[in-house]
Amino acid sequence: MRGLRKTYHRAFRKTGNDALKGMDLSVPEGSAFGLIGPNGAGKTTFIKSILGIVQPTAGTVQVLGGSPEDPRIRARIGYLPERLHLPGSWTATAFLSTVTRLKGLKSDAQGNSRLLERVGLADAAGRKIGGYSKGMRQRLGLAAALVGTPSLLILDEPTDGIDPMGRLEVRRILLEEVQKGTTLFLNSHLLAETERVCDRVAILADGRVVREGRLEDLARGGARWMVRFAPGVDAAALGAAGFTRGSADGVYHVEAEDPAALNAAVDRARAAGALLVELRRDGADLESVLLGTMAPAGAVGVAA
Amino acid sequence: MNPVLGIAGYVLREAMSRKFILAFVVGITLVLSVVALSLRLDVVDGALAASRLFGEEIRSSIRSVDVALRPVYTAAAFIVFYGGILFGIVACSDFAPSLMSPGRIEHLLALPIQRWHLLAGTFLGVMTLALGGTLYGTTGLVLIFGVKAGYWTAGPLIAGLMACVGFAAVYAVMLTTATLVRSAALSAAAGILVLVGGVIAGFRTQISSAFEDGLSRTAFEAVTLALPRLSSLAQAAGDIAASTPLEVHSLGTLLAGVMVFGFGALAVGFWRFEGKDY
Repeated sequence: MRGLRKTYHRAFRKTGNDALKGMDLSVPEGSAFGLIGPNGAGKTTFIKSILGIVQPTAGTVQVLGGSPEDPRIRARIGYLPERLHLPGSWTATAFLSTVTRLKGLKSDAQGNSRLLERVGLADAAGRKIGGYSKGMRQRLGLAAALVGTPSLLILDEPTDGIDPMGRLEVRRILLEEVQKGTTLFLNSHLLAETERVCDRVAILADGRVVREGRLEDLARGGARWMVRFAPGVDAAALGAAGFTRGSADGVYHVEAEDPAALNAAVDRARAAGALLVELRRDGADLESVLLGTMAPAGAVGVAA
Repeated sequence: MNPVLGIAGYVLREAMSRKFILAFVVGITLVLSVVALSLRLDVVDGALAASRLFGEEIRSSIRSVDVALRPVYTAAAFIVFYGGILFGIVACSDFAPSLMSPGRIEHLLALPIQRWHLLAGTFLGVMTLALGGTLYGTTGLVLIFGVKAGYWTAGPLIAGLMACVGFAAVYAVMLTTATLVRSAALSAAAGILVLVGGVIAGFRTQISSAFEDGLSRTAFEAVTLALPRLSSLAQAAGDIAASTPLEVHSLGTLLAGVMVFGFGALAVGFWRFEGKDY
């Protein structure tokens, strides 16, 4: 999308509320893309713009190579809204069957049963949705989004109300979809979830994209690595091998531009008698990245 | 599947789960059953010689069956027309606001259907419901009296269909209101307003003489000119049900006027819905 703007005008008022102020964003096909930012950043408006639910004031949106207004494009999108309102008197089977028909697909009772099984609702398939818990409704919403094996999944708070075990299940399903080549667009207030599922992230603030890129690029602190060795290590020998002592016992840092340099440094340490316990890129987590991005603007708030 | 039919099915499935709609169907069935079981008509050579309700004889002179049944069919036509429209307003007022509720409208709009499919499907679903209920009741009535009196007429069925046309105009306004404000109460209020306005519009010539000649009369005539003449349509439905000559001058013009009003209201709703953000 290019130069996306959305102003909500209120009746009898000349000025409106600018929800999006010129957003430029491109989501690579097949990626798992996370959207984070403080409340009121414009995330929901942005998602609705992608789907044509909200009509932009200015700018262009292209989804899967076409316009979101085109039903053929929307047929390739699976969407789970933030607060999905389901018909309480229907059964899950009837709901999925209706969604299947409205997506222009042939009725597929077996496929829908498999979907319900996949989201963990096989036992509740015949029950009325009105008796479902919040987490079960979310699972059903996810199943509805997966109807027709969409090329793009847009999920707004998919694990809202789901218990920790259920979140693991949902995360597993999302990762499976990404592995299959589905493009995932995720808006979640759970940064840890975004971090575990997504490979790219955009941070929205005040209707603009303030930072965007691969998660590891956003999170990493350059070519710096954190290494932890077993107790009893020779600090002087490690210092000579290019390692600097960290804050905790046994923790050291090393600069390595590429895997070859990193392995050479580790080999030198091992040659000095150090036993490697842990090795990871010395970077910040997503929360730190978000706070670090938002703090200069003075707009730190609750994420997503 | 055609998306309009898909949405109509969605609405009908939703309707079938409503207890008061099921209660309405059960109510019609009970009324028809009671009439069928308690009414006895003695017909001799095409004349109604005697009639008994719950075993009690109803005093009346011997008349031909079609004449004797006229008041019954006229009353039934008025009950179906006004009662049906009123029930329809109350029963169907929250279908559109419910479909447009937060969390549901986003999901529906993200599906591969056009926005107008959603409104057209809702309208079609509600009209199918209205038509089904009307035909169920009127066909039952025609069958009961046909079997008991040997007098068969399609009048009540046609009257029922005319009631559906009247309700279509009313529901078009209700649907359009729902695109402006997601409120079942306001949608119902708009429907009742059109019904009352439609009754007044049918008597506009008689009522206008009560206004002083000048601006007030012109304003009244201008406002009622745009409204569907529902009371005239009800009168025509009553006449057709009873197989009596029509009092209205041109049924075709009357029906066309009501339909133009309905399509006009729907067009506003479609236009509003197309440009609305949810």
